[in-house]
Amino acid sequence: MRKEGEIYVVHRLLDEQICDSEGRRVGRVDDIELRGDPPRITALLVGEGLYPRRLPGWLARTTRRIVGPETWGSNALRIPWEEVDELSSTVKLRKKAEDLGLGEGDDPGRWFVRRLPWN
Amino acid sequence: MALGLFLAVAALFSSGCGDLSNDELNRGVESLSALAAQGQLVASGVARDATKSTYARVMSRTLGEEAEHEAEKLADATLEEAETEDQRHAAVAVAGEISGLLSELQTYPGDEHHGALVQKHLEEAQEKADAIVAQLSGDAP
Amino acid sequence: MKVILKIALGIIAAIGGFLDIGDLVFNTQAGALYRYDLLWAVVLGTIGIAVYAEMSGRVAAVSGRPVFDVIRMRLGFGFGLLALIASTLVNLLTVAAELGGIAIVLELLFDAPYNMFVVTGAIALVAIVALLPFGGLERLFGYGGLALFVVVATVFHQNPDWGDVAHGFVPSLDSSTLYLYFVVGVFAAALMPYEVHFYSSGAIEEGWTEENLKENRLNAILGYGIGGVLSVALVIVSGYLFHPLGVEPSDLGTVALPMQGAFGETGLLLALGGMFFCVGGAAIDSSFAASYNLAQFLGWEWGRYQGPRKAPRFTASWLVFLLLGIAIAESGINPVEITEYSVVFSVVALPLTYLPVLLIAGDRSFMSDHANGRIAATLGWLYFAVIIVLSLAAIPLLLATNGGGG
Repeated sequence: MRKEGEIYVVHRLLDEQICDSEGRRVGRVDDIELRGDPPRITALLVGEGLYPRRLPGWLARTTRRIVGPETWGSNALRIPWEEVDELSSTVKLRKKAEDLGLGEGDDPGRWFVRRLPWN
Repeated sequence: MALGLFLAVAALFSSGCGDLSNDELNRGVESLSALAAQGQLVASGVARDATKSTYARVMSRTLGEEAEHEAEKLADATLEEAETEDQRHAAVAVAGEISGLLSELQTYPGDEHHGALVQKHLEEAQEKADAIVAQLSGDAP
Repeated sequence: MKVILKIALGIIAAIGGFLDIGDLVFNTQAGALYRYDLLWAVVLGTIGIAVYAEMSGRVAAVSGRPVFDVIRMRLGFGFGLLALIASTLVNLLTVAAELGGIAIVLELLFDAPYNMFVVTGAIALVAIVALLPFGGLERLFGYGGLALFVVVATVFHQNPDWGDVAHGFVPSLDSSTLYLYFVVGVFAAALMPYEVHFYSSGAIEEGWTEENLKENRLNAILGYGIGGVLSVALVIVSGYLFHPLGVEPSDLGTVALPMQGAFGETGLLLALGGMFFCVGGAAIDSSFAASYNLAQFLGWEWGRYQGPRKAPRFTASWLVFLLLGIAIAESGINPVEITEYSVVFSVVALPLTYLPVLLIAGDRSFMSDHANGRIAATLGWLYFAVIIVLSLAAIPLLLATNGGGG
């Protein structure tokens, strides 16, 4: 699918799997940034800090208690639309995950991953 | 929905005992009969030397425990209808008999002679249990 | 030739992998209580899983999307999360039931304490998963489960009144709530969603593409179809032997009694061995399904093919699910009871995971020429209606029958 032209944002882009340039699964499209008139996609928003936005009422509050408030650069990341390479069965990025701050959860450098018995 | 699931599980696991209605007494004796029937099948395997002794032992232990549990339930509860007292006594006795027979099978899971004997006695115990069920449902004197 | 052989081996693995502790328990109880009357519900459930699995496998092969990927796409975050939580709870109960089942079979074979076997069985599973590649796992347990064909042999040995058996395939409704409860149970036991979630993720693990579509269809129709024959056989042997005697099967060990009756110790050992592999394979499938679902929903790296280093969160969550399963199995609740809850709740959660697959399978923008045709679409929506009815009926029936206790 082309990334230019019209896109069914909710049908084909929101909640889609994101993969980096090496094919690693690094998160899902948790929200989308639109700007301008007519609106254009300017960025994909990724991270568990965005989950409360997707939930109603008390569920949102409970989830926010677990994931913490939305903090850009930490639990909420902004992936500029220019970094998107291709839309196929996944959203494929142009760069490696670490260059965009993604994929930290499965990163062997992270304390939780480092402590797993097989690392 | 998740909450609903939890509530349903909680309600199910906590459903407990109390007064024993005629219906429940009936059901208790019926399950004794079912246990005796299952015990006969296990015993017949032993009698024909057509089983593995660990299987026969574990099965008779499990079934025996269930019979004992049934006996305790029948003995402890208060009856809602006093006129079924005789049947309750008879049922507790049959339950004891069944669990005794099964524990004998558990002790000799490789002995064909014991197996045949236990099978025969379990058959008699099942007949007794069935007779009590018949009395409770008013089909017999 | 090589391709045909490969496909045949896949089908055989699917046959062996069809049965789990839920089928063993519910089909045996259904036969004991209602003789052959519920055979039609087994068939209904078996066609259901074939339909669901065929669609999921096709979606995975064509669009590269496993089930929970599709769920997040079509239901969005909120309802998707609901589906995830419900499926995970059911999967945990299933893992616990299967681990308990492994322990019971080992106890029956070696007469050592159940609690010890729950833990050693789970450790053995971890070792097997660590050592074998994905395809090897499927085959080991699938082929081992074929020992349960002894149940089919038992049917012919018993030689029941075939007219009566045939009559059981005609749907009949009885007004008793216990009968209706067993209709739901037998149907749901055949259509356990974790099997399909595992199957579709497995298609990705094995790198399926459009070229595997024929394999997918054969697996779903023949593999699950012949697996359904085993379920039917379980109902018949139980109905033949237990129904007239009034046996109420409350233990997993009871399932093996008809085979002992027909073929003595050999029959018993084949039955117990087959049960061991079926239940062991199901423990792996259900625990993997729990981790697949979680990882796919959250966008984590996942898959046995990635190995624990590349997919650390997926692997860690698998171990956590296994540990929680051990904890539930060790809690002292009879595994047969855990099985009943896992089966009945699975049908409650089923519409939420079934609908998204049905929608994507019929969506040409995802599936192009491989979208649902007229037959697949009709069957798919028909089953959606059946699943909705049963899922609404499941919990009221569970409560009304006191968990099938009558």
